[in-house]
Amino acid sequence: MIEFNEFSFRYREGAEPVVRDITLAIPDGCFVGITGAAGSGKSTLTYAVNGIIPHCYPGDFYGSVTVEGCDTVDTSLTDLSRLVGSVCQDIDSQMVSTVVEDEILYGLENFAVPKDEIPGRVDEALAAMGIADLRDRTIDSLSGGQKQKVAVASVIALRPKVLVLDEPTAELDPASSVAVFDLLSRYARENGTTVIVVEQKIALLSDYADMLVIVDGGRIRFADTPDAVLAHSDELLALGVNVPRATTLVNALAAQGLYEGPAVRNVAGAAAVCKEVLA
Amino acid sequence: MAKFLEYVPGDSFLHRMNPCAKLIGAVLFAIACFVTSNLVFLVAMLVVALGLALYCGMGRETAGLCKAVFAFSLILAVVILLTTPHGAQLVPLPWGYIGTGSLLAAVTVVVRLMAAAIPLFLVFYVTKMNDMTNAVVKQLHVPYKYAFTFTSTVHFIPVFMNDMAGIMEAQTARGVEFDGSFVKKVRLMVPLCVPLLVGSVRKTNSAAIAAEVRGFNLRTRESGYKEYPMRAGDWAALAVCALLVAAGIAVALLG
Repeated sequence: MIEFNEFSFRYREGAEPVVRDITLAIPDGCFVGITGAAGSGKSTLTYAVNGIIPHCYPGDFYGSVTVEGCDTVDTSLTDLSRLVGSVCQDIDSQMVSTVVEDEILYGLENFAVPKDEIPGRVDEALAAMGIADLRDRTIDSLSGGQKQKVAVASVIALRPKVLVLDEPTAELDPASSVAVFDLLSRYARENGTTVIVVEQKIALLSDYADMLVIVDGGRIRFADTPDAVLAHSDELLALGVNVPRATTLVNALAAQGLYEGPAVRNVAGAAAVCKEVLA
Repeated sequence: MAKFLEYVPGDSFLHRMNPCAKLIGAVLFAIACFVTSNLVFLVAMLVVALGLALYCGMGRETAGLCKAVFAFSLILAVVILLTTPHGAQLVPLPWGYIGTGSLLAAVTVVVRLMAAAIPLFLVFYVTKMNDMTNAVVKQLHVPYKYAFTFTSTVHFIPVFMNDMAGIMEAQTARGVEFDGSFVKKVRLMVPLCVPLLVGSVRKTNSAAIAAEVRGFNLRTRESGYKEYPMRAGDWAALAVCALLVAAGIAVALLG
């Protein structure tokens, strides 16, 4: 369980808190998508979970954030990293090795995983991300999507209870984005891992998340199931969240009393609703 | 062609050698180049170094390196030419002359630097960064933090070179012309160092955080997974390099 309790944070160099009065409980095994306009405080929320704030970026920390009962302020970054695996936004900076296998080994060696356990963990992580064939490739020769999978594999090899990803598909094409989310979702389901993803693509996020969190001006505006959140498409658009047009269309039909049902996320869903309305 | 100092996969003897043996061998090779000023010996060393580079398929990378080292050593060579009046006079100067000895010394500097640099750079092209770090930690007992810092620095060189190329491309797209004299190019590039520096600091910070959240501070000498045994070939290579140093000293003493 991850709990934010009246959490606010102001970076040392900032005049105002970046996030304010955040109270949120994320159950174990939940796939959470955090989205919002640029500068809304999405990444700061994830930094509070993996301990990057206040351990790496100092500032004024109010309230509390606990992961599996560990207060992220009182627990060292190293101890927190045993619980929380993090994939940073800048993948190229995250890579410390020249070859894929070495990148997976890096964390395992640091955490002194028993040597007889390491080959199995590497195989497992590569297989989970579908990149077993990339094992001996140099990082530099990989595409953006492949690098992203390597970054995730290097973290899941550590078997964290919580996985935090900051805009994992920012530089990926739509097909690669879906592939990364498919693999992440399957891995989380099979292993009961809690996943927190910061992502701008709300349509993509809605297809995989159990909970959508919409952040605006450092505050949580919505935290609910994707269907419940997408039902507020007009407000989301006003907040700068890129809601799919299919969702907006169906919500407009619902507002006119022509449709009663859950929000849709894609064109196929909207087409089915239109067919139902026109019938 | 590989990026500057970036590992190139391969199966040559140099690729398979123990990373520490490669590093020590390269240092011994460089020492051998510096213990003597015998031009014939240094040319032979350069030929050996080039042979090694060709053997492990790094011909193009080495050609690029030679070009860079040649440009740098040429500056030294010019200084030597103008400041060491030795041998028979070839060109008179207001403060002395350029002699046959000056010319020989200048050529010696160029050959020596190229011969010494090639094996050192080859080590990075034929060794994975992690292997280099782990081997020096395990076998040479270098503290992990220092070894990691060193290899990370090397790792970031091509990244920053790539960033600089990106910044220059962006400036070119906005009408800046980098063609022209060396001085003009430098004058145009100096202001670009600011965004590069800002980007570098940000990248370095991200890398440090990324390493820390993956347990960087927990690393011990024993926790490295791979072992790097010294094999007969490694000892033989080290012996050859030691012999080269001995030969260099002998040539220096005799000649």
